[in-house]
Amino acid sequence: MRGALALFLTLYLLRALVAEANSALSGAHIWLFAGGLYVAYSALMLPFREGFAASLLGGLLCDSVAPLAFGTQTAVFAAAHVAVYGVRERLQRDETPVRLAVALIANLAFFLALSFARLRLVPAPATAWPRMLSDLLWSEAAVAAAGPWFFALQARTLELARAHGAHPA
Amino acid sequence: MRFGQSQRFDQARPFVALGVALAAWLVAPVALRTFARASFFEMTAPITAAASYASDLQRFWALRLHSKEQLIEAGRDLARLDASYSLSIQQNSELQAEVERLQALLHMPPADHYRFEHARVAQRDFSGWWQRMVIRKGKDYRIPVGAPVVYGGGVVGRVAEVHAYTSVVELTSNPGLRIAAVVDGDTRPISYQGAENPVFGAARGVVEFLPLDVYASATAPKRLATSGLGGVFPPGLTIGRIVHVESSADGLFKTGEVALDPRLAELTEVTVLVAENPG
Repeated sequence: MRGALALFLTLYLLRALVAEANSALSGAHIWLFAGGLYVAYSALMLPFREGFAASLLGGLLCDSVAPLAFGTQTAVFAAAHVAVYGVRERLQRDETPVRLAVALIANLAFFLALSFARLRLVPAPATAWPRMLSDLLWSEAAVAAAGPWFFALQARTLELARAHGAHPA
Repeated sequence: MRFGQSQRFDQARPFVALGVALAAWLVAPVALRTFARASFFEMTAPITAAASYASDLQRFWALRLHSKEQLIEAGRDLARLDASYSLSIQQNSELQAEVERLQALLHMPPADHYRFEHARVAQRDFSGWWQRMVIRKGKDYRIPVGAPVVYGGGVVGRVAEVHAYTSVVELTSNPGLRIAAVVDGDTRPISYQGAENPVFGAARGVVEFLPLDVYASATAPKRLATSGLGGVFPPGLTIGRIVHVESSADGLFKTGEVALDPRLAELTEVTVLVAENPG
């Protein structure tokens, strides 16, 4: 479980950075969603139990700050984790572009799923779609830009955690 | 044969794990979920608060770069504002005394009194799905859930969640938020609901059950204020301006579009109204 906790630390950092970016961009009517990055690396690179635990913890972290039924994003992340894990042997998962593609597709799927879940609260749903599409485009761009750095950070954090675990001081 | 069965089980194992996790979550007690949510939120709170304090420090050092001339000018402007507000306070005291005298004569129940709790905005979260902000006061300042939150321009929203030293405020533009309102100069209650936060321009809301004799347009907007009904918001606080009205589908009422103040997206400080005599 050391790997899951190490990955959770990186997800904690990601949430903090995204929240600060959203706070700073609120005046410009831009909002970023990076759900795909919470699942991609753990589903592609970690053994099932560790990766699944990291995705669940990441989902709970996102759920705690969102006005959704607690567990909604956790369930969506868990389902996506299982789906990606199921096909990972058919992918060149050591390649960053492949990881990035998985993160982008997962991000798109999460965003659309949550949009449909939230849309029932909007008095005129048709008027809300332009903003949601704008948020989706910005989010995909942000995931594409930050993805390689974030995967490198996760890989390095895992290395450090495992090295520390192999040679305790 | 046995190898084939084992391979099939290995392939199905992730789905079994997902099913078990979902089933466990569905039967988990509400107390456990509430505890988990509060724990994870409090885990994120130190970063939110630290970033907010760092931003305040940055602003402080930026302000220190202002010249003495600018400070003197700002001080002069503030002194003028102070003088006009002092006069308003005197007039307000006289009016308050008059209201209390009339209430006593008519045996009316006393109006709600509020404690003003000023709070810095630590984080804004304005998506197409929801519009919320985190403020830097919570249980440590006895902020209650549901308390109205205001600023110089009117209503900001209401407190949706209270945590150890932060609170989450749901904005008037949030699609889930409803407020009992009145059109300026009218006493008939109508219903306001947050609607959307568009890509360009300020957030908007909608009003329902507008009487048929109410007219408003972008060139002649009507001020929308809280009605005081519902017991959350005191009456008379500005929500926004009605900029468009049209007949509803049944023809009995009108519906309208409300333009909210663009400053809502850039607030740095708000005031929570904490009722001193709740209930």
